[in-house]
Amino acid sequence: MARTQLEIFIGLLLVSIAVVVVIYVGFNEENRMAEWTLAQEAGAIEVGADLFEINCSGCHGVKGEGIPGLAPPLSDQFFFTQRLQEVGWEGTLEDYIIATVSTGRSVSTRPDQYVGGGKPAMPAWSQRFGGPLRDDQVHDLAAFVLNWEATALGKAEISELPAPTPGAEEAADPVARGQQVYVRGGCAGCHAIQGISAGVVGPNLTQIGQVAATRQDGVSAEDYIRESVVNPGAYVVEGYQPNIMPQNYGEQFSNQELDDLVAFLLAQE
Amino acid sequence: MIKNLSLQDLRSRALELLDQRVRIITAGMGLKELRAVMRGDPPTEKPNPRYRVHITSFIFHIRPRYYQQASTWFTHTFRLGYFTTLFFIIEIITGLILMIYYVPSPSEAYQSILRLEGNVAFGSMLRDLHRLGAEAMVAFAALHMLRTYLTGSYKKERSFTWLTGVLLLLITLFLSFSGYLLPWDQLAYWAVTIGTSMAESAPLFGNEVNLLLRGAPDIGAGGLLRFYLLHVVLVPLLGIVVLSIHYYKVSREHNISLPARIEEGDLPKDVKKEATQRIDFIPDLLTHEVFLACLTIFAMVVMVAFFYNAPLEHHADPQKTPLDTKAPWYFLWIQGMLKLGDPTLMGVILPTVIFALLFAVPYIDRNPYRMMSKRPVAVTLGLLFVAAVLVLSYMGTPGYGIETPAAIRIVQDLAPEEGVGALREISFEQLEPGIYEVGKTDTTALPPELGLVFIEFERRVNEAEEAGKLPGVQAVMIIEDWQAGLKKVTPRIIWSDPESGDQKTFEKHIFLHRDRGLGGE
Ligand code: HEC
Ligand code: HEC
Ligand code: HEM
Repeated sequence: MARTQLEIFIGLLLVSIAVVVVIYVGFNEENRMAEWTLAQEAGAIEVGADLFEINCSGCHGVKGEGIPGLAPPLSDQFFFTQRLQEVGWEGTLEDYIIATVSTGRSVSTRPDQYVGGGKPAMPAWSQRFGGPLRDDQVHDLAAFVLNWEATALGKAEISELPAPTPGAEEAADPVARGQQVYVRGGCAGCHAIQGISAGVVGPNLTQIGQVAATRQDGVSAEDYIRESVVNPGAYVVEGYQPNIMPQNYGEQFSNQELDDLVAFLLAQE
Repeated sequence: MIKNLSLQDLRSRALELLDQRVRIITAGMGLKELRAVMRGDPPTEKPNPRYRVHITSFIFHIRPRYYQQASTWFTHTFRLGYFTTLFFIIEIITGLILMIYYVPSPSEAYQSILRLEGNVAFGSMLRDLHRLGAEAMVAFAALHMLRTYLTGSYKKERSFTWLTGVLLLLITLFLSFSGYLLPWDQLAYWAVTIGTSMAESAPLFGNEVNLLLRGAPDIGAGGLLRFYLLHVVLVPLLGIVVLSIHYYKVSREHNISLPARIEEGDLPKDVKKEATQRIDFIPDLLTHEVFLACLTIFAMVVMVAFFYNAPLEHHADPQKTPLDTKAPWYFLWIQGMLKLGDPTLMGVILPTVIFALLFAVPYIDRNPYRMMSKRPVAVTLGLLFVAAVLVLSYMGTPGYGIETPAAIRIVQDLAPEEGVGALREISFEQLEPGIYEVGKTDTTALPPELGLVFIEFERRVNEAEEAGKLPGVQAVMIIEDWQAGLKKVTPRIIWSDPESGDQKTFEKHIFLHRDRGLGGE
């Protein structure tokens, strides 16, 4: 066979194989697309979990269990079965979550449950409404919140780890203990401290140890912080509304907790 | 009348009509002639109808009627220019189809890629083909340049061909680079941010160029649209124009060069005669080229069906600088240079000088000989240049020469921000909830896959401690059930800072979903 003919023959063969491969891929496409979409949704949940921990857990609790006085649970049966009827929402739960999270809530639907009458209840999160998140991130958050459904309806159980005992050093250090009070008390939901929390409702506290000393003449930093927590109305930071920060921390915390919290905030400089 | 027409007449009349049609389609070759071509017979008519095609057909009028035998030897050109052209055509076709699905705006671009991959039959294959073709085009253009350099084909009358060639290389690189941004994922966003910020550090007009490219101080909607338009309109058009000039020079003016030893070597007359014999384009070279096209299509299809996957990272996030930014491999050499010094010098001035030198190669190298043995300096310099590019590329890889704090590095290697990594390869069921502490947990009691990863974690931590990077280290890995089908893994490393003695903690929260491994990432 001459070279030309050999080339024609092999060329045809190669193209035929390529066509067979394409057909083979074609038969798998349905499957591939379904799996890919599932994996993509899984990826969205992973990203949403991360975002929730950073932005939302301070108010809604680390596992969406809610923090009394601050924000409602998002992982309980009520939220998945009755909340839509309660507010009269016509669309899906996903739409409700995306809409609520995107625009925030300037007025609570349950004012009696929140400190300060729930005004504002939740800041807007979508960049379109002045928040910090992109729409794809809001979508990922919704995917994550929706993924609580199985446990909320009792269709799945998840195990709990024994609460990690704080290391000996941590227990001895008031600043470390204060950080726990800060997170547990829900301060993280409203305040930002670099590396710890990212709340945007109240002033940034990353340098509060320094700022506090300059707030009021004749008032030491320590006293100012203590006052700000126990009696937030005493001095309202410029640019913020009074009565947003809960007024009852004085009753909620023990003296020890309060001391630790103040020590922790003083250390933020 | 009907009676007069015998069956034979009818048949020959029909054939004649058919023959006419065929001649119109093939630009001059009749049925008989086509048959002769297929069988490898000589032309059936005079003048040779195979030459007429080169006059009447647009596509063929660009191609020479015949070549000199030796200039078509495979080991002389390796068909690298041809392959590059082929990839360019593949890019144009796949690119046009991709344009149907792609939306060039920051809020939609990434979603449109997701839809393409998850919702369009053959969408993933299409994207893989386009991406693979782009990488191949860059690689083959570069190899093609290396070949014309080594065979000395840029000399004398071919110096302008070389010049347009370097232009084509720049166009190819920019074509790839501008396409790189379009998926709007982390990979794209940061590679292009770094690329354009290099332009920014250019002296005098850097800021203006940067603004012009990005449309704003940072890449956003304006920048994406600009890159998109450059990628789908301006640069391909430029490419077509310059390629036409490049190839016109080759085909109309000086042909493909002969191998140097045929031109200059001390060979017997008859060897030279045989080497410079004519070889017609139709049919020999045409079938060969079609064959190569078939081979390329076959190779590409098999590659994308079984081996190659176009990467897609997380959605672009201007707030979140990735730990390891990766330039595309064909720009690693620049990234390598950037690690060596000042960005203005290394990122702008030196690359400009390098390309200026490339442009000027035919004018600098005045040595009239083409044989490698007669141009030792040029060949040595060329090979040194290739070696330098390879070494710089190696230095440009993310890990090289950048000290990431030990704790961060260990966790990043275990579970990188993008891609898979050992931790994500553990099957979901084996991620047994618990608190595991380096040095205390009995690794043999762990599920096997988790055990292996934990041993690796332990090894890295101990290694860093011995190297003095993590004195007094305490490391744990916490695995928690987080939601149905979702687990949270927290590697936490606590150590005392070697300088200040303060206690430091690094931890990362990694969420792993059961279905993540699907979809062949
Ligand atoms: C400043 C505290 C705060 C933060 C931070 C916060 N929320 Fe809220 N959120 C609230 C409050 C308060 C409500 C209840 C509003 C109401 O009762 O009308 C609420 C309501 C919701 C609802 C509707 C629940 C229902 O029962 O109607 C969703 C969903 C939600 N938040 C999600 C999020 C997500 C996701 C984030 C993180 C991006 C987040 N929230 C961050 C305070 C917060
Ligand atoms: C519902 C949102 C919210 C919560 C929860 C909250 N704060 Fe505030 N906080 C605010 C707002 C709004 C201000 C500014 C207005 C004011 O000064 O009362 C503020 C002010 C402060 C200030 C004064 C800041 C300055 O720059 O002078 C401190 C200190 C402070 N908060 C500490 C805390 C601590 C500690 C907690 C948790 C125990 C907490 N806050 C919980 C909203 C909140
Ligand atoms: C898009 C990129 C390019 C394409 C599509 C292309 C295409 C071609 C083609 C089809 C040929 C015919 C010979 C062959 O197949 O080897 C050719 C020849 C040539 N090209 Fe390119 N080329 C490109 C880039 C370059 C570059 C980067 C250079 C060098 C700087 C270059 C320099 C040359 C020279 C000197 C010849 C003549 C070779 C000879 O006569 O032996 N080209 N090119």
